[in-house]
Amino acid sequence: MTAPLEAAEPAVQAAGPGDERPTRRGTLQYALSKAGGALFSIAMVIVGTFFVFRLLPGDPVRNLAQGRNMTPAQLDLERRRLGLDQPMIDQFFDFVGKTLRLDLGISYEYKRPVLDLIGERLGPTLLLAGTGLVIAVSLGIWQGTRAGWRHGSRFDRFSTGASLVLWSVPTFWLGLLLMMVFGVGIGPIPGLFPFRGIESVDAPDGFAYILDVASHMVLPCLTLVAVVYAQYLLVMRSSLLEEVSQDYVTVARAKGLRDDEVRRRHAVPNALLPTVTLVFMRIGFVVGGAVTVETIYTWPGLGQLFYEAVRVPDFTLMQGTFLLITVAVVVMNTLADVVYHMLDPRVRSA
Amino acid sequence: MRKWFARLATLGVALLVAGQGTTAALAQDPAAGKKTVRVGATQSMDSMNPFLAVRLVSTSIHRWMYGYLTVPDSKTLQPSPDLAESWTTSEDGLTWTFKIRAAKWSDGKPVTAEDAAWTFNKMMTDEAAKTANGPAVENFESVTASGQDLTIKLKAPQASMLENPVPIMPKHVWESVTDMANYDAEKYPTVSSGPYIAVEHKKDQHVKLQANPNYWRGKPKIDELQVVFYDNPQAAIAGLKNGDIDLIGRLQPPEFEAIQNDPNIEAWNTQGRRAAYLQINHGATTTDDKPVGDGHPALKDLKVRQALHYAIDKQKLVTEVQNGLAKPADGSIVPPMYKDFFWEATGDTKVTYDPAKANKILDDAGYKKGSDGVRTMPDGSRKLEFRFTIHTDTPIEDKLAEYLTGFFKEIGITLTTVKLDSSKFSEETGVTGNFDIAISGWSVNPDPEEVMATHLCSRRPAPGGEGGGTESFFCDETFEKLYQEQLKELDRPKRAEILKQMQERLYTQAPIIAIYYPNDLEGYRKDRITSITPIPEDKGLLYGGSSYWPFYTVDAKATAASGGASGGGSNTGLIAGIAGGVVAVGLVVFLATRRRKSTADERE
Repeated sequence: MTAPLEAAEPAVQAAGPGDERPTRRGTLQYALSKAGGALFSIAMVIVGTFFVFRLLPGDPVRNLAQGRNMTPAQLDLERRRLGLDQPMIDQFFDFVGKTLRLDLGISYEYKRPVLDLIGERLGPTLLLAGTGLVIAVSLGIWQGTRAGWRHGSRFDRFSTGASLVLWSVPTFWLGLLLMMVFGVGIGPIPGLFPFRGIESVDAPDGFAYILDVASHMVLPCLTLVAVVYAQYLLVMRSSLLEEVSQDYVTVARAKGLRDDEVRRRHAVPNALLPTVTLVFMRIGFVVGGAVTVETIYTWPGLGQLFYEAVRVPDFTLMQGTFLLITVAVVVMNTLADVVYHMLDPRVRSA
Repeated sequence: MRKWFARLATLGVALLVAGQGTTAALAQDPAAGKKTVRVGATQSMDSMNPFLAVRLVSTSIHRWMYGYLTVPDSKTLQPSPDLAESWTTSEDGLTWTFKIRAAKWSDGKPVTAEDAAWTFNKMMTDEAAKTANGPAVENFESVTASGQDLTIKLKAPQASMLENPVPIMPKHVWESVTDMANYDAEKYPTVSSGPYIAVEHKKDQHVKLQANPNYWRGKPKIDELQVVFYDNPQAAIAGLKNGDIDLIGRLQPPEFEAIQNDPNIEAWNTQGRRAAYLQINHGATTTDDKPVGDGHPALKDLKVRQALHYAIDKQKLVTEVQNGLAKPADGSIVPPMYKDFFWEATGDTKVTYDPAKANKILDDAGYKKGSDGVRTMPDGSRKLEFRFTIHTDTPIEDKLAEYLTGFFKEIGITLTTVKLDSSKFSEETGVTGNFDIAISGWSVNPDPEEVMATHLCSRRPAPGGEGGGTESFFCDETFEKLYQEQLKELDRPKRAEILKQMQERLYTQAPIIAIYYPNDLEGYRKDRITSITPIPEDKGLLYGGSSYWPFYTVDAKATAASGGASGGGSNTGLIAGIAGGVVAVGLVVFLATRRRKSTADERE
């Protein structure tokens, strides 16, 4: 069978100065400075979170009562329990100290520690949004590559058009539509997939359970992928378009390599860089879950938790989920910067 | 390389086989041969701890799990024996003695008066235990037990004593709980005295309840009752149509219409327990009678409020806003389903749609129309331009606002709509008084005392801005006096008369204007549920009734052991399995041919 051809890193080789040691030190320095920046961002997020959530309308204790008649003594007790009777500045330092110790407080609504609630939801969210991300990225890169390589072809026009239409469709509407077609079934087509939750109420055990969860994932995943894969497709397509006209591509062609080979081994690795950044940034958002999709399909993830928290509103829970989501995004953005730095020497030398 | 593909292909085939294998496994429903009823809910449980749980779905589930002193009778809705089999009242109405029934907890231990006494005393001494039902024990002086006799001493007479909403908890299980505020009660199976025992709770997914063999009324007809949570109503409706759930209650008119023509679904449309009304800012004040808020001064004039009432075509609102699924309100806040307490306006008091009369009232009172057709205050200071406050994201309220704007335009009054999210809404319409007219509604319990209390002087916000739960900022001497009278009146028909006078007062003084009583809209699968008794039994409610009765009496077809009866479920499994297998095989074939082609190319 075919052995792998020569390492295809024309751009790297062209720009690399040859001496690796200063570059590595450079990368470390760069990573440290980015990490410092990220820490500062996170500090600002913690401060911001505290004040933003106190600007929201409504008295949390009253909202908690949800229209029931509570005695003033009860209201006072609740207020004390939630620390809302303290001066704002004390509340602030208390909040910062506890956050640093990873104590996110007790949820007003569920009367349980926020960290526990988040922990329970993290698994389902990573499963759904992670799978969705992998599929969307693969699909986007694959279609984007094809479309960009044969720019203006029927495949290009069709796939770009379709992805843009799906990108513009409201998630909620698409989710309900998919639910009606594939969940309930239309006309002679029976409902194919479940559309509520992560497992059946009477879930089977063992391997059957894995299949049960997998079948529950189909529709939410489909919705998630359909709506977002366009961005990977478009980024991939446009960056490949840039590469197509580069000299090294012409050289590769001149060497007599097959078209397929030129694309796969020469153009795509270079065109991948912006997509890699995008993917890393998106991983950050995976943690936040997909609020809309999780709400349509009653998926017990963080997005649903955040939605519930906003609905009540449950201050501590909102703070906790909001913090988690923003920290994840900041960390992933930093990682994206560092990875990009390592992948693309042009950034390094600049 | 080829080996790799061979492996992939084998995996695909294996997946296909496994998929079919598991469909067989799925078909062997764990519930095979059992009678299971699945109830859909568009709200998840906030807590399994009845001392803390406040959401409607949680209190409903707790009503299926626990016994109470008394429960509304399934026919008359009058208080009837539950765990208390009989009771006596002292001459002054201050001492109540309940005889607790010789029932058993689901773990076999006897139910005693000690359990009830512990429950009430816990609430009276532990502020955290008051979270759910605090006001129910506010008037309790002391609660003591001796054998099966429970004695409750009150601070003041209270005729609604038999409507106590507190579930009696097993002392032997709960007395070890020290930190009530943070106790989630997630221990299964629960120790219960009601028709069902909770055996599983997957948060925000479902709750499973099993029939309690020790239930004193006898074991329910079904084996398992499941409550399945949906985050949005559309998905729940789809679940009902699909057969994933068997029953769903509390539907809105558009959702109800979506199930109306389904041959497998019984669309349940009966009179409801809710009243929808307009709250009018007739001069909001705090408990020290100081004015608050920025309500329009014209609304302080009873004549203006009456003119508004005459200008509303309630029948049209029912037909066009509620799609006919409501009853126009010819009374006040107690809906007609509560026959004992419902007051209906008749004769001269009755306000019927009459824009001409409304215009005449305003003309006579000196509210002159300007050149633009809008009336001004008699002193010419302000135009009659009112705000109408509704909630965001409620299409029905948007529609209502459109119609009201049209009605009021007829009488020279401009109405503009203000939309607020629910927390801001309750603050402005219940505490700060920054509104003119607002939409409101209340689900009324079999005893209307609580809904009446929402119009008491004491419910107005405190001077510090602390809300007390007023629904109108109403403070009327006559109304207060009647309220106190009904508290002391232990004779039910006499008390009902007083409560009716209070409704009449609300109707004529118009701090609120009732517009309609929305119907109770539910749906259940006829092919699954074979019988279910509503509460009250004559054209009553199912899930919407917040009672154990429909779910105690419900009967369903048993799931067949072969899995054929669960129909959709096993079919779905089969189809999904096949589809999955086909996709996997297709993918392998596709990749393999592609590879073969490219290797062939390379060999050239």
